[in-house]
Amino acid sequence: MSRSPFATSDEVDAVVVGTGAGGAPLLARLAAAGLSVVALEAGKALDPVRDFARDEEAQGFLFWNDERLSAGEDPVAFGRNNSGTGIGGSTLHYTAYMVRAQPADLRLKTDFGVAEDWPFPYEALEPYYDEVEATIGVSGPSPYPWGPARTPYPLKPLPLNGAAQLMQRGCDKLGIRTSPAANAALSGSYATDGTRFRPACHNCGFCQAGCATGAKGSADVTWLPMAAAAGAEIRPEAYVTGFERAPDGRITAVVYRTPRGDERQRCRNVFLCAGAIETPRILLLNGLANGSGQVGRNFMAHTGIQVWGQFDEFVRPFKGIPGGLISEDTHRPADADFAGGYLLQSIGVMPVTYASQVARGRRLWGKQLRAHMRGYNNTAGINILGDCLPYAHNFVELSDELDARGLPKPRVHFTMGENERRMTDHADKLMQRIWAAAGARDIWSFPRNAHIIGTARMGSDPDSSVVDPDGRAHDVPNLFVSDNSTFPSALGANPALTIMALALRTADRFLARGA
Amino acid sequence: MDKDTSAAPSRPEGDATAGLRDHRYPEGTFAGLIGTPFVTAPTRAALTARMAKPAVTEPRFLSPAEFALLGAVCDRLLDQDGDDRRIDVPGAVDARLASGETDGWRYDALPDDGAAMKRGLAGFDETARALTGRGFLDLGPDERDRVIGAVEAGDPPGAAWADLPAKRFFEDLLAAATESYYAHPLAQEEIGYAGYADARGWQKIELDQREPREPEPVGGPR
Repeated sequence: MSRSPFATSDEVDAVVVGTGAGGAPLLARLAAAGLSVVALEAGKALDPVRDFARDEEAQGFLFWNDERLSAGEDPVAFGRNNSGTGIGGSTLHYTAYMVRAQPADLRLKTDFGVAEDWPFPYEALEPYYDEVEATIGVSGPSPYPWGPARTPYPLKPLPLNGAAQLMQRGCDKLGIRTSPAANAALSGSYATDGTRFRPACHNCGFCQAGCATGAKGSADVTWLPMAAAAGAEIRPEAYVTGFERAPDGRITAVVYRTPRGDERQRCRNVFLCAGAIETPRILLLNGLANGSGQVGRNFMAHTGIQVWGQFDEFVRPFKGIPGGLISEDTHRPADADFAGGYLLQSIGVMPVTYASQVARGRRLWGKQLRAHMRGYNNTAGINILGDCLPYAHNFVELSDELDARGLPKPRVHFTMGENERRMTDHADKLMQRIWAAAGARDIWSFPRNAHIIGTARMGSDPDSSVVDPDGRAHDVPNLFVSDNSTFPSALGANPALTIMALALRTADRFLARGA
Repeated sequence: MDKDTSAAPSRPEGDATAGLRDHRYPEGTFAGLIGTPFVTAPTRAALTARMAKPAVTEPRFLSPAEFALLGAVCDRLLDQDGDDRRIDVPGAVDARLASGETDGWRYDALPDDGAAMKRGLAGFDETARALTGRGFLDLGPDERDRVIGAVEAGDPPGAAWADLPAKRFFEDLLAAATESYYAHPLAQEEIGYAGYADARGWQKIELDQREPREPEPVGGPR
């Protein structure tokens, strides 16, 4: 993917660990500034045209399939959701929802006395939101109905599919405002400096199984080509296990496993961008940056309850961008008995994913399962994406069970708090009303928690956070974190856009310090 | 939007089958579409291989007795008893266990996938003997369903369940079997799915819209 490989004995300016939403924008920024940078990605380099089948099972290689142990009263699933591998990381299979946080999302402590405020306001992210949207090509409505005025989206919204039309119908009847959503899939062909021409989305609906056309703004067709064009080297199948350090504590090299054996890349700085499970796992494994005892702590997962129904109309829920319609009227509901809020999204779904949820959520089997699934083409869903508070009882730790590499598997504890339960109940009732108003039969709810957030918290106080507001580890002067693990609170919004925006900010702060 | 249930409680509301449409596609839909330019090369390769895979007769991970038991349980879970187009779900489950690959997570309360499967299958047999005096394979369909229902309910009789949470095990087994079944082209034909034929994308994506390559369903009443 890159033209001018560096030697492992070269002391490069920075090693970036992970090529997803946290690593890829930062890599592009550092390379554009003229720094020598090497990205290490645990997964393989893939060619979407050659390697991606339009089939859920065949695409299982996109996911981080090293086993994680899910504990607590509400264990979080990984694998097919919440994790990714390959050049581009989880952006290879993300649904490309590009929701901005609202200013109030960053100050839960000020407004409600819970969780933590972010160490900077919305305005610090805003220009980066603009930049990300323009760079990867976000399709969305202008003006956008909620939150502060924003720069118009570069592309008009994607067309609405059946599920979006049904949510629109139900919400209209209840007086809830809706809008086509903002998605990083192209409603028209697009190109920017450093990226190849990308065609418009052709509505195949396979975002979660990897985009085979380049229409989706995953990192492999946006930030990473830009980074490579600016001289960055991207090394696939490089699984980071450790570091070499100088007596003063600074990291001098990153150690990683490859199919050829262990290698070490000398470097002046390290950016950990491996996501909110692997980033703390690497830190805990190496006893690094944990003077606060906060590494792995404050694990959060968005409330994400889904409500499904079957309709008289054909929906054919596999077509079109899965999340076509949004409402943020529930960002701060007037009748809320909880802190924070949520947004509403329509959802299309592929058949195996839906069948799996019917099995897990309803435990239908035998004739009932087969009969229910024959109504797949009439099925549509609606779900929420809501805030989640950080708690001491939710955390990532190393277990004593070893994986195939001989390294401890991570154990992730998650139990919803009272706030998440109340928010889920509120949303469940509302979405059931919306689906009844839209004409759904056989309405059922599937409680779930999605996304992984908050295990290397960002803050000003070294006693209660792992990295400073610029993403630099309090304890290790040349170690930075750029991914969802630094979020002090979960935000009532899908995380990818904010991860990318924060990555650019982290890169700019690093460059401004005079790297 | 995925299988990430977090201890999703079972909350069926209403009859799961009452008044639903039935959108089976005609037999031969998959065979007719798979060779067309509507299907990309990697998609064709993956689905053709899945269709052509012979049913497993000699398990690689489970013992023959365990494999027979798994087959009998899966046949009830997926209503495939006596089906002349039986999709080989137990073979796929055994192959997965033999490969040692995981799907990225497991409930901390369960042992590793292979150990859980062996213990759980022993549990089905123990529960059958406790409830009926006979082994699972010696039971008729209704009695097999009764045993499965007891495991699903979460507190079945049988020593194997003492350190294997039955509810969690049942959920994982049902999900694995269901995913394997509906990944098969013939099962997709049965639910009126032709989403694999998307090389040229979809233009008719709104309610009640259908493209010419999508057949009229032959299923039940409107």
